[in-house]
Amino acid sequence: MTGQLRLLASVAARHLVGRRRQTIVAVSGVAVGVGFFLAVSAMMIGSQNDFIKTLIDAAPHIIISDELRSPPAQPGVSLYKGAAINLRHYKVRNEVRGLKGWPEILRTVNALPGAIGSPSLSGAITLRSGGREEALTIVGVDPAIEEKVSTIQDQLRIGRLRDLESTQGGIIIGEEMARRLGLGVGDVVGATSASGKSRSLRIVGLFKRGQTQISSGLGYVLLREAQSLLGRPFIINRIGVRLADPYEAEPISRRLEARYAYKAESWQERSADFLSLLVTRNVIMYSVVSAILLVASFGIYTVVSNSVSDKRRDIAIMRSMGFSERDLQLIFVFEGLALALIGIVAGWLLGYGLMAILGSLKFPIAGEDQHLPLDRTARQYAIAAAASLLSGVIAAWLPARKAARVDPVDILRGAV
Amino acid sequence: MSAIIEVQDLSRSLPGTPPVTLVSDVSLSIQPATFVAIVGPSGCGKSSLLYLLGLLDRPTSGQVLFNGQDMNPLRGDARAGIRLASFGFVFQFHFLLPEFTALENVMLPMRRLGKLSLTEIQAKAQALLEGMGLGEKSTKTPDRLSGGERQRVAIARAIANDPALVLGDEPTGNLDSQNSARVVEMFRNLAHDQGRAVVCVTHDPDVAAAADVQISMLDGRIKETSVRPR
Ligand SMILES: Nc1ncnc2c1ncn2[C@@H]1O[C@H](COP(=O)(O)OP(=O)(O)O)[C@@H](O)[C@H]1O
Ligand SMILES: [Mg+2]
Repeated sequence: MTGQLRLLASVAARHLVGRRRQTIVAVSGVAVGVGFFLAVSAMMIGSQNDFIKTLIDAAPHIIISDELRSPPAQPGVSLYKGAAINLRHYKVRNEVRGLKGWPEILRTVNALPGAIGSPSLSGAITLRSGGREEALTIVGVDPAIEEKVSTIQDQLRIGRLRDLESTQGGIIIGEEMARRLGLGVGDVVGATSASGKSRSLRIVGLFKRGQTQISSGLGYVLLREAQSLLGRPFIINRIGVRLADPYEAEPISRRLEARYAYKAESWQERSADFLSLLVTRNVIMYSVVSAILLVASFGIYTVVSNSVSDKRRDIAIMRSMGFSERDLQLIFVFEGLALALIGIVAGWLLGYGLMAILGSLKFPIAGEDQHLPLDRTARQYAIAAAASLLSGVIAAWLPARKAARVDPVDILRGAV
Repeated sequence: MSAIIEVQDLSRSLPGTPPVTLVSDVSLSIQPATFVAIVGPSGCGKSSLLYLLGLLDRPTSGQVLFNGQDMNPLRGDARAGIRLASFGFVFQFHFLLPEFTALENVMLPMRRLGKLSLTEIQAKAQALLEGMGLGEKSTKTPDRLSGGERQRVAIARAIANDPALVLGDEPTGNLDSQNSARVVEMFRNLAHDQGRAVVCVTHDPDVAAAADVQISMLDGRIKETSVRPR
């Protein structure tokens, strides 16, 4: 059986060798398709992974905040559940803002394997220095926990998050803000909250420029400092959660929200717009690549189709010798398969080379020369091969059916 | 002796208005170790009858029996299998595969049959070519061989799987008299020494004269059958 397949394959190979130029064109078509698919997808997926990693790392995987997605049922309504009542003019109960029962929520979060929750309190204050005033949102955190939950530590140009612990009344603000206030590290700045409390804070670190919303509008202090300055002792209004597997964020956030009613937002929800943009990007990429592969399979179709028409005499003689219709069909499918396989290997090499070139280039991104993020996983090689093989076999199979249908008697009558 | 091929009331016509009759009401039987010549004017249906005998074509009516078995119900694969193992064709034009050497051409049917190992197949093909006086030419492709040499390669290929039946369609039609005589001698040997049935469509009176049985056709019918005593 295998010997017979080898025989059919060898007939196919001789046919291809006999039409070398067409073979080279068809193989090049597949190779270019595969090579460019590899290069383009490496860039697309590489940048996408890079981008998603940034999205995931930019903030905690889940943020539980003291917001409710729908207003809670008022006591009057919940008291007469399902009753045909219509309450009007009742006094709306105002929630005291802050996460109620947060130690319990935090315990639940920390009980998840590999997960850490970092409680924080944020609020608006005003910074004053030498007659200049700037509005600022301060975030009170526990530095030891917060640095495990967010990448805030990486955003620092000067100082460390832990410096908040070692300096009485320390604050970290952005370079932007410091410039506007005319201050630097070690300087003291006056802070006033909406509740009227005032404090002197010492700058212990600066966030990098560029991360605008952090650099210009956020300041980090110790949690208890924030609680006292904002006049809300023991209260927090946010828990940032880091998970062992960021892709678990969606279901876990749903469970937390169902249990505690507070809004628990996953990074996916937060980035839904961006993520849908990525889907569009992928659709575009795969359509372009499919088009390239389709064009490549036209080359295969042409070669096999010409081969069938040129070899009608040989088909007839092989049929008279005792080769079956299936044998003849296989010979021509093998021709397409061989073209696809050679093209794939050549395309792999081409793609590998293109990626090596792309990988060696440096581009100025955000002021720094960076390498392009490239995804060079074996998966892309496999996808390119599978797609080319499939389209190649289909492209060969269509004309190969014609080979099977050649009636040897028609040919012999014409020839004899 | 039982017949290798037997046909009864065999007819073949091409559909159309009016239908073209190629073969009509032919009955005959072909015995082993017999050299049969089919003769008749051009266009009388000799080739058409040969294609029916060789299972390349299907009759419009009537039966072809191979070793007593009706071939009509068999599917294409099964008929191809019988051609492969039991029949060998030689045509007027050599019909060798141009990309393969003489040796490889002779090896093809044996490789397709797959009964022997590749080395055995190669040795047998070489022996067959030597038997045809072509031992030195075995590595040549068909375009490097003369017409007579090609036809001898084609005969070697036709008998590679030791067929019970060898079918020739004007095998000497393109050869000079010397090469013709050689082919006729080979066909006689295939029948008389090797015990095969040989059916040969021919115009050539010398070929016909060498045959054991002569079947004359006219307008798709058998006009006369004459047996020459050995
Ligand atoms: N495809 C066809 N269409 C119409 N007539 C055909 C066709 N093929 C063969 N014929 C006719 O059928 C008859 C028998 O042909 P053939 O068997 O080749 O005769 P022979 O081999 O004796 O010369 C001839 O008259 C030929 O012209
Ligand atoms: Mg004829």
